[in-house]
Amino acid sequence: MNADVFTIKNLDLHYGTLQALKDININIEKNKVTALIGPSGCGKSTFLRCLNRMNDLIDVCKINGDVLFHENDVYDRNYDVISLRTKVGMVFQKPNPFPMTVYDNIAYGPRCQGVKNKDKLDKIVENSLKKSAIWEEVKDRLKDSAIGLSGGQQQRLCIARAIAMEPEVILMDEPTSALDPIATLKIEQLITDLKKNYTIIIVTHSMQQAARISDNTAFFLTGELIEYDKTDVIFSNPKHTKTEDYITGRFG
Amino acid sequence: MTFRTQFEKELEELKLSLIKMGDIVIKNIHEALKAFLDMNTELADEIIKKDKLVNECEYNIEKECMRIILREQPVARDLRLITSVLKMITDLERIGDHAADISKLTVFMEKTNQPFSAKQIVKMVDVSEEMIKLALESFVNQDQTLALEVIAKDDVVDDLFSEVRNLVADAIRNRNIDADYALYLMMVTKYLERIGDHAVNLAEWVLFSILGYHK
Repeated sequence: MNADVFTIKNLDLHYGTLQALKDININIEKNKVTALIGPSGCGKSTFLRCLNRMNDLIDVCKINGDVLFHENDVYDRNYDVISLRTKVGMVFQKPNPFPMTVYDNIAYGPRCQGVKNKDKLDKIVENSLKKSAIWEEVKDRLKDSAIGLSGGQQQRLCIARAIAMEPEVILMDEPTSALDPIATLKIEQLITDLKKNYTIIIVTHSMQQAARISDNTAFFLTGELIEYDKTDVIFSNPKHTKTEDYITGRFG
Repeated sequence: MTFRTQFEKELEELKLSLIKMGDIVIKNIHEALKAFLDMNTELADEIIKKDKLVNECEYNIEKECMRIILREQPVARDLRLITSVLKMITDLERIGDHAADISKLTVFMEKTNQPFSAKQIVKMVDVSEEMIKLALESFVNQDQTLALEVIAKDDVVDDLFSEVRNLVADAIRNRNIDADYALYLMMVTKYLERIGDHAVNLAEWVLFSILGYHK
């Protein structure tokens, strides 16, 4: 059985004339946390957004190369983007709950998929919130607006909302950068728990976070994938000077 | 280009502290053997007292390493460097202990009119001192070749140990050596042999700091 969820081959991405990703080759392992690190503008978020075709929304964006999700090219013209985004969920930097109740936030996706049965929806909501370690905090507030939750709770709600779609992969773009240290640790613990059932790819500016929670780390610089290895190797004995300079703070 | 000038300064200061500790240790073993050979109990007493300095160095460097880990959260070569320092000070401290051990033997040794002369033992100290010096130099300059030279030199110390052992055994058989002195001499020789082993450990941690793996 292939343990790789994504296989990326010779991926180039241009925003107009600017090349944002250059010949990226990387495999994403199943049930692992993969961290993408690098300075701002290095292409790590752009890369993350390639994986569920979020870059499709940008007109000037041109992509070449292969992004294989279970060996199927997601950029194939016949590929079903809706099903891709169901299987590959996403959580953003700023918690973005919908302006509706906690319950409806979670039920929104399944309802769009045609789930109408109340009991089934109740079960999905409860399970998703439990898996996101927020059920105990919101079980009595399911009918309250999600906007009233704290930042950390909102972010876990967003993870629950992604989980409700039963994805295989969860993409996270700096999911804790707007959170306080306690909320951050809760999300980090959650990520560690979630990897049993999901594959997680996380963009982070916190090197300590990458070191704490990820199994593999990819270092991007000016659109290139400089180094990709086990996280322990990257942070103890990286092979490339550029990686070493970046993680040790010798590089601006 | 670096944005961590303060951190780099701290790492340089850490290396300097290690060298300083090494200098004290080298001086102590040199004088410990001199005191033993000359049966100079005053000098031996002094060295026993000076061992406290070595222990203080170890404590201070250890504290500084912890502070740097806490505040700078070093990774990669920086983390390896600090880990190596933490390990190396333990070996230096042990070498210091052996200098004190030799001095204690000197203090308690029954004086004999006929000390047995074994030139090899002086050579053992010379080579061990050289090994410690080179190990520290290889650390400061992150010089892999030099660290490997240190490890190779341990064979010289081991050979000298065997030579002294054979000399003493012959002397015992021929009744040319005071029995107590023979025992003390062999114990000192064993301490010197152990010092060579600790110097090898130092060099191995230097290699770890450079290469990222430990033998």
